[in-house]
Amino acid sequence: MTAIDFTLPSKKFKDKTTVFAVGTVVVALCCIYTNFNPLAFFMEFHNVRDLLGEMLPPNYRTLTDDPSTGYAILQTLCMAFLGSLYGGIIAVIIAFLAASNTMPLKSVRMIARFTLSFLRVIPIVVVILIFVIAVGPSTFAGMLALVIVTIGNFGKLFTEIIENVESPPAEAIYSVGASRMQVIRYSIIPQILPTLIANMLFAFDVNIRSAIALGIFGGGGIGFKLQLAKSVLHYKDVAAIVSLIIIMVILTEKISDYLRRKILGEGKLK
Amino acid sequence: MIILLAVTEATAIVCGATFGKLSDGIFNGLAFLGNMYPPDWSAFPEMLEPALQSIIIAFLGTVFGTIISVVFALLAANNLANPWVRNITRVFIAIERSIPEIIILILLVAAFGLGAMPGVVALSIGCIGMLGKLLADIIEEIDPLMIEAIESVGGNKIQVIIFGVLPQIMPNLISYALFRFEINIRLSVLLGAVGAGGVGYELEYSFGMLQYHRAFTAVIIIIAMVFGTERLSYFLRKKVKTEGALT
Repeated sequence: MTAIDFTLPSKKFKDKTTVFAVGTVVVALCCIYTNFNPLAFFMEFHNVRDLLGEMLPPNYRTLTDDPSTGYAILQTLCMAFLGSLYGGIIAVIIAFLAASNTMPLKSVRMIARFTLSFLRVIPIVVVILIFVIAVGPSTFAGMLALVIVTIGNFGKLFTEIIENVESPPAEAIYSVGASRMQVIRYSIIPQILPTLIANMLFAFDVNIRSAIALGIFGGGGIGFKLQLAKSVLHYKDVAAIVSLIIIMVILTEKISDYLRRKILGEGKLK
Repeated sequence: MIILLAVTEATAIVCGATFGKLSDGIFNGLAFLGNMYPPDWSAFPEMLEPALQSIIIAFLGTVFGTIISVVFALLAANNLANPWVRNITRVFIAIERSIPEIIILILLVAAFGLGAMPGVVALSIGCIGMLGKLLADIIEEIDPLMIEAIESVGGNKIQVIIFGVLPQIMPNLISYALFRFEINIRLSVLLGAVGAGGVGYELEYSFGMLQYHRAFTAVIIIIAMVFGTERLSYFLRKKVKTEGALT
């Protein structure tokens, strides 16, 4: 072995360099394909500056003069609440049908699992566009869309939670002659309840954000207000609404965080 | 329990949700789905390019977003940055996390006009909130011995980051980035409908033009796209997990 072997780059280094180079080329090609120039963001930053100049100071008068803005926020909150509640309840029911320790029939299990994984891949835009046509553009359409999306997002999680419960309590109840429903009622539900509620609170967090996006596609609520203010180029109103949305999201996040910690702390499961 | 029922009832009134509406809506919806049914396969070839565009927007958003998030994460970790910088960065990350991507996009579209660029920038900025926080938490938990070892032989801050920090967080970094890619694919469809181009725009356009058969084709493509990337990212994440040094 000569000294040159040691000075040459090692195989590991060569591999890393190859991966890095190929990655850079791919990224560059993608940039060219979509006409995306990362530098343009900085070169044309004056656009952002102009926009900010138009947005500041936020016009909070729109909130005090126009009571419908406050109502729109309430609508968004209600949409997210109902979507999480009904979506969560339906998700739990489907999860019981899909879990191997509560549903003995394999065919039912397969159908429930297929439903869940199918709902999971449908993006929220498609759901809302269909519901807007089915029930008309309203908060109700947004709520139904949130129900569907919540089932998709949390159904699988709930199934796993149900499947992971400890089996000794269930066996103890079963051994004294309880029926399947009684086993579920007295052994499985008490075990999963805190986790389920905590997850529903999390769903509420997620749904608040989705509810804002839904408003833009005709789901009503504060997102719709935002879209309206933006399309008539009232950027000062836009700034006020955006700041309201940020406050709303942070507040709901803190509240649901607090409740979640309380529930998980009090519950048997950690 | 009673409070919960009362709140549910009140919110239902605000939303205007009634069972009568629901049953009407179900029939309308089913009739509408029947209307959509035979997908317009002739539109399939011309939708492949927008689909590719959506995927590329998500991909670029993830790549640039991950790079920016690493910078923010380094600034937000208490074992690397000084407390002032750390707290400011943490607050910034928390605020960013509470702004939905779609709002960022609407503002960017207002600033830069329609196109792929606001989409990529919105997704990149959207990454900071989630990846920045997760990565900062990971960086705070890395093995301090490696950093000390590099410092003791005279490495400066940048060398510490490149040789001491990055190799330790790499496996987690990749798996989080892949997870974020999944989210970004969904978001890029959503953002497309607002004006970032891609298959989301095709969908919105077909719905707007009442060409429901065409819209159905777009729906099929979107579902295939989301499903495909989900499987791919799951597979890659599993691979990273078994091969990576950490977790």
